[in-house]
Amino acid sequence: MISAAEVAVRIKRLPIFPAAPARLAALLADGKSGVDEFEKVIKPDPGLTANLLRLANSAYLGLTRRVASAREAITILGLKRVYDVATMSSMQRFLPKRLPGYELSSEGYWQHCVAVAAMAENLARVDGRYPPALAFTAGLMHDIGKLILGEFLALHAVPILENLHRDGATLIGAEREILGVDHTEVGAELAAGWKLPEAVVSAIRWHHDPNQVPAGVDGTCVDLVHVADALAHSFGFGADVGELQRPLDPQAFDRLKVASTAVEQMVAGSLAQIEGLTSLAGSGDRGGKS
Amino acid sequence: MSSLVTVDIADYRVSADPDVMLVTYALGSCIGVMIHDPVRRAAGMIHYMLPLSETSPEKAKARPAMFADAGIPLLFHSMYALGCDKKNMIVKVAGGGTLHDESGRFAIGQRNYTVLRKMFWKTGVIITAEDVGGSKSRTVRLAVATGRCTVTSSGQEVAL
Repeated sequence: MISAAEVAVRIKRLPIFPAAPARLAALLADGKSGVDEFEKVIKPDPGLTANLLRLANSAYLGLTRRVASAREAITILGLKRVYDVATMSSMQRFLPKRLPGYELSSEGYWQHCVAVAAMAENLARVDGRYPPALAFTAGLMHDIGKLILGEFLALHAVPILENLHRDGATLIGAEREILGVDHTEVGAELAAGWKLPEAVVSAIRWHHDPNQVPAGVDGTCVDLVHVADALAHSFGFGADVGELQRPLDPQAFDRLKVASTAVEQMVAGSLAQIEGLTSLAGSGDRGGKS
Repeated sequence: MSSLVTVDIADYRVSADPDVMLVTYALGSCIGVMIHDPVRRAAGMIHYMLPLSETSPEKAKARPAMFADAGIPLLFHSMYALGCDKKNMIVKVAGGGTLHDESGRFAIGQRNYTVLRKMFWKTGVIITAEDVGGSKSRTVRLAVATGRCTVTSSGQEVAL
């Protein structure tokens, strides 16, 4: 078991989440801002600028000429995609090389986050009730708690995690059993400390328990992330030690205005996006553990 | 020393190079079809995601191996192009797993498998060995030289 104090120490040790994504989100939401305003937020951040240029020049977009400035990249990628890259770029700063307790490489973790982000966004488009940009962010960040719990799991839990392979246990159940907390609780705490939007915090907190969302909290984003998470695992995006051993909540799926046939269409339409965004992390590996 | 050729999701590969080992990672609800022709000494593998290309015809055009009905015929024809003979080909299947989804909302793994069986029944293809279903993620390897095919799941490798 680990104490709340131990978790708090780890959270404090992490740097603060960059402000750029929240500022860009506000600009996106006001509907009046354009390339100039975006450029002002992005230009002072060299890491973010570099990532934007990498994406703009990647095979994913297939442009014939070279994009050389942040301004040009913003024009080509569009404001929504720039916001996505800013969020991803901010999050990449927190990725360790490996997440030992989850038998997961950094690439595998990243690919999973990106897959959930893309599919939550695309499910939101089909569903039509929720801002796709926010669903993307919530999907991208849904597992940030694992960045903190991974180390504890590696120290405490090898034998119990191995049991996951044999019985029908779930990963989150194992976390609770071994550590007394799970990655959704820790992740929500971290996200709240970073002052991320309320909907993102809720999606992190409840993505494994979409029916436990407290009254007064909009559960749509939680449902989107829950279903996208299940799909990402089902299609092998970032296989971790928990693999397919996770329940899909039929009620969460039924609350979304998405038909089963539309799900397959959405998945087919998401693959190129997932591959393109995954390559932003540098390696295009599938990142499976075996 | 064999060289590893990775079959990505929604892709297929064939090879007649005896040094090549085909591999595909993290088959969940996706299905891998592995073909080996011991006479020609060639092998092929596909990692498809979804059963039917009618779901998304324009994606099927760009990435036919995303779908069983568009990708599997391509795999077979690529084997024939290498000089393989259908009567010599040994066909194995892995994947088609499922989440803990008692309601069956996402029975994509089962649908992937059903469509495959129908196609093989129509074209007279016999499956020599398979490891399908369950809540497992699978990695599959196939050696061109020997046809040895292995499935790794939860850290354990078994021959298929």
